[in-house]
Parts: sequence; structure tokens; C-alpha cells
Amino acid sequence: MSRFLLRRLLGAAVILMIISAVTFFLFFAVPRDPARFACGKICPPETLELVRHNMGIDEPVFLQYWHWLIGIFAGRDFTYGRCDAPCLGYSFVNQQPIFDAIVDRFPTTLSLTIGAAVVFLLFGIGMGMIAAARQGRPADKIASSASLIGASMQIYFVGVLATWVLVDQLQLFERPAYHELTADPVKWFSGLLIPWLVLSIIFTANYTRMTRSSMVEQLSEDYVRTARAKGMPSRTVFLRFAWRGAMGPIITIFGVDLGALLGGAIITEQTFVLHGIGELSIKAVVNQDLPMLLGVVLVAATAIVLFNIVVDAAYAFIDPRVRLS
Amino acid sequence: MTIPFLSVRDLTVDFDTEDGVVHAVDGLSFDVEKGTTLGIVGESGSGKSVTNLAVLGLHDPAYTKISGEIVLDGRELTTAPRRELERLRGNKVAMIFQDPLTSLSPYHSVGRQISETYRRHTGASRGEARGRAVEMLRRVGIPHPVSRVDDYPHQFSGGMRQRVMIAMALVCDPDLLIADEPTTALDVTVQAQILDLLKELQEQTGTAIILITHDLGVVANAAQEVLVMYAGRAVERGTVREVLGTPRHPYTWGLLSSMPRLRSSVDVPLVPVRGTPPSLIHVPPGCPFHPRCDYQAQAGPDLCVGDRPELSPHRGHGDACYLTPAHKREIFADQIKERL
Amino acid sequence: MRSPSRRAVSAVAALAAGMLALSACAQGGGGVTAPTAAAPAKSQDVKALNKIAVGTGDDSKGPAAPEPGAVKGGTVNMIDRDDFSHLDPARIYLNYNATASKLFTRQLTEYKVADNGGLTLVGDLAVDAGSTDDGGKTWKFTLKDGLKWQDGSPISTADIKHSFERLYAPFATEGPPYAEQWLLPKGQKYTGPYDGKHLDTIEAVDDKNIVFHLNSPHPDFNFTVAMTGYGAVPKKHDTKEKYDRQPFSAGPYKIVSHVTDKSLDLERNEHWDPATDPIRNAYPDKWHMEFGVQALQSTDRFIADNGADKHAMTFHNPIATERIQQVIGDPELMKRTMQGLTPFTTFYNINTTRVKDLKVRQAIIKAFPMQQVRQLNGGELGIGKFASTVISPTVLGHQPFDLYGQTTKPQGDPEAAKKLLAEAGQPNPPLVYAYNQTPTGEKAAVVIKSSLEKAGFKVVNKPLNPATYYDAIGLLDNPYDLYWGGWAADWPTGSTAVSLTYDGRQLVDHGSNYSHLNVPEVNEAIDKANEILDPVEAGKAWAAVDKMIMAQAPIVPEFYQTYFGLYGSGLGGVEFDPITGEQSPTNVYVKQ
Repeated sequence: MSRFLLRRLLGAAVILMIISAVTFFLFFAVPRDPARFACGKICPPETLELVRHNMGIDEPVFLQYWHWLIGIFAGRDFTYGRCDAPCLGYSFVNQQPIFDAIVDRFPTTLSLTIGAAVVFLLFGIGMGMIAAARQGRPADKIASSASLIGASMQIYFVGVLATWVLVDQLQLFERPAYHELTADPVKWFSGLLIPWLVLSIIFTANYTRMTRSSMVEQLSEDYVRTARAKGMPSRTVFLRFAWRGAMGPIITIFGVDLGALLGGAIITEQTFVLHGIGELSIKAVVNQDLPMLLGVVLVAATAIVLFNIVVDAAYAFIDPRVRLS
Repeated sequence: MTIPFLSVRDLTVDFDTEDGVVHAVDGLSFDVEKGTTLGIVGESGSGKSVTNLAVLGLHDPAYTKISGEIVLDGRELTTAPRRELERLRGNKVAMIFQDPLTSLSPYHSVGRQISETYRRHTGASRGEARGRAVEMLRRVGIPHPVSRVDDYPHQFSGGMRQRVMIAMALVCDPDLLIADEPTTALDVTVQAQILDLLKELQEQTGTAIILITHDLGVVANAAQEVLVMYAGRAVERGTVREVLGTPRHPYTWGLLSSMPRLRSSVDVPLVPVRGTPPSLIHVPPGCPFHPRCDYQAQAGPDLCVGDRPELSPHRGHGDACYLTPAHKREIFADQIKERL
Repeated sequence: MRSPSRRAVSAVAALAAGMLALSACAQGGGGVTAPTAAAPAKSQDVKALNKIAVGTGDDSKGPAAPEPGAVKGGTVNMIDRDDFSHLDPARIYLNYNATASKLFTRQLTEYKVADNGGLTLVGDLAVDAGSTDDGGKTWKFTLKDGLKWQDGSPISTADIKHSFERLYAPFATEGPPYAEQWLLPKGQKYTGPYDGKHLDTIEAVDDKNIVFHLNSPHPDFNFTVAMTGYGAVPKKHDTKEKYDRQPFSAGPYKIVSHVTDKSLDLERNEHWDPATDPIRNAYPDKWHMEFGVQALQSTDRFIADNGADKHAMTFHNPIATERIQQVIGDPELMKRTMQGLTPFTTFYNINTTRVKDLKVRQAIIKAFPMQQVRQLNGGELGIGKFASTVISPTVLGHQPFDLYGQTTKPQGDPEAAKKLLAEAGQPNPPLVYAYNQTPTGEKAAVVIKSSLEKAGFKVVNKPLNPATYYDAIGLLDNPYDLYWGGWAADWPTGSTAVSLTYDGRQLVDHGSNYSHLNVPEVNEAIDKANEILDPVEAGKAWAAVDKMIMAQAPIVPEFYQTYFGLYGSGLGGVEFDPITGEQSPTNVYVKQ
């Protein structure tokens, strides 16, 4: 297990390095000048040079990348002051340290992700199981059509509608906002409830369909038939046998989804004015903010890579045929 | 006349599918006595497995219509409530499946799979059940059962897996064991070992066995009675000696002649009878075998496409064919016997 | 200049085309009628700000004129799309940053906005709008009495000198370049005061009097120093590059907390003396600002008008295009709106180095479908009034004229254009139109192409990536003939409205003269106008320059940008600031 982890973590580090390098070089592959973008509306050549220097983009790209990489471990000095390790640089836009920005935003994204995941796992898997257990019967048909409708929903549409109805018109809820869990758990919960529900709609639909099809497939497996043939009660057959086998693909997708969500739920964050990683990403792109872009790309990539490892470990836990080596 | 241990009468199993109603089993009757083995033979799709799943009540009632009687030790099973069937399965009636790799749960250790059956039906403690599992593994000939009890199915060889399967099936000393192609997925040498094991265990416990196979060789080896099935019906029935020695139905002839030599150690695949098995949605009228039968002319073609032939005589060696007994003897003696 | 707001907006639009498609749908449906057709908006004509004056010492005295019915106290909530990218005056150029800075940063001069929209340049820290007796080369300012920093220490001329010297520091790259260029003695290099070197051109005579010795005459330097970029920074509390995070207040409020991109909280600065301040009323006790709210979201919140949003306003967010019809259809909502002309003008640059024939350029203007383009952008209230000049009505001396009948035939006049092309002997000139590839940009390009082709042009549309749009059109040898741009004067006199954009002697890559106009008479006229001391006379001269430029047809004037904004019902005194083109914080109060 520890060898597996060590090997995978090393692999992850290499992947992250490749991803950051690709981001770096792709950013400059487009003929653009972030310095001109950041410089004032009248930008004399001397000032432009200064801006380039301040941003650290007055060097060849590979050297910039090298300095950026070194900065993560050793810190760096900028015109805007010392940036301690782990230094991801300063934002081109407002010179906020990237690392601080990410640390500041991550709890929001994490809260949004975890809450939504709980909701969509609960409802998605629950509905999928009911549908599978009641194959072809009304419950199955209701669950299937509900998931079809859910899958075709758009977050910004449902989000705006939900806010308008629940907050503006009925005034049942407070306006969605992020409050720190440690500061006020009740506010944390009530502030994120609508975003959780809205964000989980599409996922719930997906997990319903996935659970249903996966369960249906497992229920027709020989070993499930064996379990029934040896007299196991149907609940046991369903949960302990079929679900055990059906979990595999669901966990895989869940790992991918969780990783993607931790990289920032851009639309949801914009819809509900939540200041998470997603908002940082969109701003980074719009503002040609390379350090921020690299930062959020790293967060997203790390989340995805880590959850890949977690999924693989979970797989080994569920299925003894899979060996961690 | 005593009541047989298992008595199946006029069993009919229909499945609702999108393409139409599948008549998987159609008016099947047979008996099995304790301590004996009935071999059920037929091509795939002939209804052998469906019949036995019906005995265990394993069909999804939403899509399946079952009629007729299945009486086990005096209890009617087709109308029994789900819970009663659940208590019966794995306890009084157990089943072994064709492919032990897919039929054993890959997610649980073999010990757990055996012991949970035992606990389910006996209410034994964890420790007792584990002891029982080790004992069962030893009985079916798994070496070092104490250390292997926590292993997973994928860590066993094919033959060992089937032994595990048998251990699991026999853990509650069932009165009836249904073995559905228990040796098909195995090497020939291992096949013999498994059949011997079944025989040996039967001698110890007196269990009745239904052995489902498409291999007459296996039947010859392991059964006392034979039922040959075609398109959901019995076409011939009798003792092993009767059916294999003096077969009467053209389908049985086909099976026998397309079979590799008995006790051959070379695993030659079964060459099927001419033509393909009939659709079970649109079963041919009359004798369902007639489209593939070479002897319609002797029987009189109108007969074969008219009414369905009944199994006759009702007891002993019976067959469902319009050929006269004289014809059957003659054809068998002249054309079939030499090929065997 | 390129309007930073519109630029960012279009980039977002392109990026998020899929997810923010709500707005795109509303516009793309074709069902939106031009708001000009709607009755309530039409009557509200936006007046030109021809009343721009330089005030006296009396005008510069505090306190500010009270807002009728206003009371002190309460908290005002400000919701907007973005956080302020900078708060260090030396790094402020964007109007949005300047609007917030009004609450804690003060300059030598400021604008007083009259109820009728007229502007008066008055002394803010200075007792008056400054004085010069050598035609604008030497400027003298005297500080008011009773000026204090947030720690109670006095604001002195040493602080002012320091504030101008630190503009040269390496970290201060984002601010306006004017004072830096004018105060640097020819041939000298200067990198700020932090290594002990100082500029002799800024002379702190005593604690109260300071003299600026410019290297060339600038008769409107007192307008220049009204820019937030020339706001005062305390010498003692200058934290250099970190000052941006936590500026020291000279105004009525001080920063309590600032969480980047999330929130900014202000509370009263007890050391601010209203008697020194002719501009700021500072009624509320606190300000709470929240960022990340898109225009559609803020509009919906103002319309819903619930809870804390009753006391909410926005500095920058306009009424979302898709809600304009709803707002102008509701008299109750209209009571909570404001509208006015921003300093921004938009236009299509005609690349004069490629389209050399004047008649062809004029034909482009004649044929241009302004009406249709404006409809795509949300109509008059959504984007602006039809323009026909270089100088905006918000600039001192603006004179309305329309050389090409743009306002009388805003849908374009292909026949007139055809005639001009025939006279030029080029009935079918080729034309490459480069545009920002955004949903609206795409639609506009189709309309523009078809209109120009009706006049005989052979148009090739060339979509450009919004992220690199300005990098592409900023090259002098760019391969395009026509491309959109925008500009705003940095202060409301003609010099920054015209000099940088049409002076042909400043042609460089990525300069501000996007049409590459280089006409000696225009250049000369610009120089002359720049030397006129009297604001009114200077205004007249700039108007003449404007006409001269338009006669050369270097641009297709598009819009004088309008602002149409909404705020919560619990606020009073929310007014439009014509200098920033945004909602002004100075007179806002919480209704009791």
C-alpha cells in the first residue's frame, strides 16, 4: 500500500509538472502581452518594460517556468515584495499572492463540493437503486424520467429561478452566500443549501441513471444469482452483493466529478456569487492572469490526480481482484 | 406407490419479452428420488436451466408465468411465498452453476460465502460457521483449508473453485442438489474429479441430484435416470442404460451420434444436430423437432406437423415420437448404432 | 483609450458564451425593440455638459452642499462585479477604482457636480483649483487648514511632494503617465524617493504651499491633478508596494477590512473634518461592499429590493440589457434609476494608412448602420447616444455637429455612399473589417458587412480573439481597414480627448492613434489648442480641431456611452458622476 502510494504520488507530481509546463507554454503560444493588458490605458514603452519586469515575463519562457517552479519550493523575490514558499507568484491584476488567494477560496469550493456530493450521492444512488429494484414498474419510470429532466437542466437557469422564487419572492431562504463552517455552522448550511441543491440536480440525474444501469447489470450477474440461490434475503442480495459490484463504475465517475468540482464549479459560483476556485479561474482567463491561471490549473489538476489515486485505492478495497502494486 | 421426493408435473414457464412470449418450458413432468441422480440433457435453450431455476423460484415474477406443480418433499413450491422459498434455497435445495468464476462473488472470501449460507439457515455463530466452512472445504478436497478459507475466488484454480461452489451448496446438507453444467467450464481431467466428488458426497449424504448437462458422457458417468429435453419439452426419458443403450427418439440419436466417443480423453466439442434449435417464441407446430428430423417420411409427414407427440409410455423408458416402436428399433439398429 | 469595462465584458462574454447564454438569448431572440421606442426613456434626454468651469476659493470651501432630506447614519451596501484592482493612488487609472477612492483618498483638486449636471473644478486638499502665472508651466497650490490623516496627523506639502515622487517607483506602473512625464527634468532618470533622492521640480515651499515646475506648459494641469492617480499618500505611513492593500485615509472613511475579490468594509474616519471638504457629504456611518455580482444579478436584486438590498447601490454595474425593458416599463423602478453620459465614446477606427482615399473613408461613415448596431447592443439606454464627433459632450467645449448625417440617417445611407465611391473612382473598394469575436460582435459584423456591401464595398469580415484583440489592432502595419475602439478623456478638457488619439507625430505600435491619422494641420492645431490658458477659449479651439479631424474621416463615430443604473429603495442621494460615468458615493444616504 505505501509503495503504491509513493509510486502514485511521484507520478502525480510528474503529471502536475507537465500540466503546469503545458499551461505555461500554451499561454504564451497565443500572441498576447499580459503586460500591455495590465499596464495603464496610456502605457509608455519604459513603463511597459517595467511592468514586464515586475511580472517576471521579461525573460525567455522556459526560464520563467524554471523560476516559477523553483519559487514553489524556495520562494521568490518580486518588485512587489518577497513571496515565501510555496510561492505561486503574484496575480498580474492586483498583486495578490496566488497561494493566499487559493487558500482563501478553497474552503468555499470544498464546502460547495462536499455538500453537493452528499446530496447527489444520496438522491442519485437512492433513486437509481429504487429504479433498479422496481425495474419496469412505475417507480422505475418515474425515477428515469425525473433523471432525464434533471439532466437537461441548466444550472444558471435553475439557479436564477430558484433564487428568484425562494429568496426574492417567497423570502424563505437567505441569499446564497458562503459563511465559514467553523464560525457559524447553521449559516454555513443555510447559505449553501440552494447552491447545493441546484448544483446537484444534474449530478443526481447522472447518478440515478448510472446506479440504475449498473445495478441492473449486476443483478443479472451469475454471482448475484448464486446469492439468491443460496437463500440470501433479497435486501442482502441487493445491497451486499449487487451494490458491491455496481459501486465500481460509480466510484470511478464520482472520483472524476469530485476532482472536477474541486477545480471550481464555475457556473454555480457565478450564479450564486460564491467566491470559490471557479470564480478565480474565470477571472484568471479573462484578465490574462498567468500566475492565477497556473494556480487554479494546479488546484484542479491536483484534485483530479489525487482523486484518481483515491479511486484506485477504493477500487482495491472494494474488489480484491484489483491489487495495489 | 410412494410419493417421489421431487415431483414436477406439467411445468410451464413463459417469459414476457419485448419480442413476444418465450415458451421456455412447456408441459414438463419428471420425478427425482433421494439418493439418485437425474441427468437432464439437451442443447442450450432447451429449457433445462429454466426448469431448475423454476424449482428454486429464481425467476423474476414480473416477467415470468409459471404453471404446473413442483412438489418437493410434499411441499408445493410454485405457490410458496417468497420468504419460504428463501429459507428453502441453499438449505433444502442447493444449486451449483456452470462457471464457478462468475458464479462466486468476487468481492467476498470463499469462507465468508460458505459460512454466510450456513449462518443464514442455521443461525450459527460466526465462529461456528467459519469452522463449518473449513470443514466443508476439507470435505470437497481443498488442500490447507484453514489457510485458504480467507482467500478470494480469483485466487483458486477453476477446479478448486467448483469445489468451493460445491462446498457452499452442500454446507446445509441439502436434500436436493441441482448441478447446472457443473463441469462444462473445466478441463476434462478436472471434470472427472468433480463428478467423482459429487458421487462420493451423494453416497455420504443421500442427496438427490439433478445434473444438467448437454454432454451425454457426463450423464453416462454420473446419473441413473435421464431426461432428454428439446424446445422446452421432454422428448425421451428412462434409465441411463435404456436411453443410452437403446435410444428411441431421433433427437437422442442425433445427440449420441454427434458426441465424441464415450470416455474419450480428448475434449472434442459437441457437434450439434443438423439445423438450429427452434425459436421458443414461435415454436414449430406438431413435433417441435420435425424441421430437423430425417425420419419424418417413415413416421408420416402429416403426423409430425399435426399434434404434439406425447411422451409414451407414461412410465419407464418413454419417448415423444410418432415413429412406431418397430421403426425406431430398426432405424437405430441399422443406421445409428454403428456410428456410436 | 480602450474602455476597460467593455473590454472585460466582451472577453467574459466570449469565454462564457455557453454559460451566460441568458443574456445572449435575450438579445438573440430578436424580440427586443430598441428602448428608444419606449415612451418613458425618450423624454429623459441626456444633457451635454457644456457647463464645465474652474471654481474659486469660495467654491472650494466645505462643507459640501447638503442633500435635501438627507440624514446621517446607517450602512450602505455596494454590490458590483469586480473588486477594486488597486487602492494605492499611484496605481489607479480605472474609474471604478477612483470611485471607491473618493471615500478615503483626496487630491489637490476635485469636481463638484451641480444638480443640473454642470461641473466645477474646485480645490479638494488645496484652497482653490491652483494658479499659474506663466501660461501653465509653474503651478502653485496651497493646502487648506485642518486637513488630517486617519491617525490625526496633519496633511502637509511634504506628503504631497512624496505622493508625486513615489509615482516613479518601480511598482507604480498602472497610473496615468502625465505628471511623471511633465515633472521629470529633461534627460534625467528618477526611480522614486525611497533611496533618498528627490525631485527639485516639486517644491514644498512650506507646510502649506507647494509649487510644481513642469517641463512644458500645461494650462489644464489643475484638471490633471484631480485624477485619483494623483491622490495624497502619507510619507510616514507609506508602505510602498503594500500600500495598495491598506491605503491610509485622508477622507471621511477608513478601511476596516478588505478581502480581495470578496468584500471591503469602511467605517468613519473621525479625523476627517467636513469643513475642509466641498465634495463629500459622508452621510452613512459604514460602507459594506461585495464583489462578484454580475450586472444581471445586481439588477435582479435591486428590482426585488429585499432586506439589506434595499440599502444597496452599485458603482459600476449598469442595468442588465435584458432587464432594460422591464425597468423602463415600471414607473416605480424608474424612480430609482439614474442615467447620464459617461466620458466614454466608441467608434470604428478607419485605418488611414490602408484606406488612403478620403472619399472612400467618408463613404464608410455614410453607409454605416449605427441604428442596427445599437439595437444589438441594447439601444440608447443600453449603450449610448449616436455620436458624430470626436469630442464627447462630457468634455469642455464640445460642439455638436454632424458632417456625414449620421444622426439623421442612423440606419446608413448607401446611396450617398455610392455617390462618394463613384466620385473616388472606386465603386467597389475592398474593406477588411476586424472585430472582437463575441456573440454580439458576430451579429454586428453581419449587419455591418451587409450595409457596407449595399454601398458597393467588398467586405471581408475578420474575427479576432477577444483576448488579443488590442494586440492585433495595435500594430501600425495591421492588415485591417476598420476596427472598433473606444476612448475617454482623462479629464474633461480637449487635450486628452484628442491629442493622444489623432496626433500623427506619435505613431507607434500599440499607441493610442489607432486610425494612424497624420495630418500636419491637425497636428499644428492640437499644439495651439494645448497652449490656450483660458478654459473657454481652449474649448472653442478644441471644437475646431474636432471638426478638422472629422473632415478627415478617420473614424466612424459610434456612441457617446450612456450609463443607466438602478439602486435600492432605501437609499437617497444616489447620483450619477459624469467624470467617472458611474454612481457616485459622495451624497448617498440611508433613508430613515
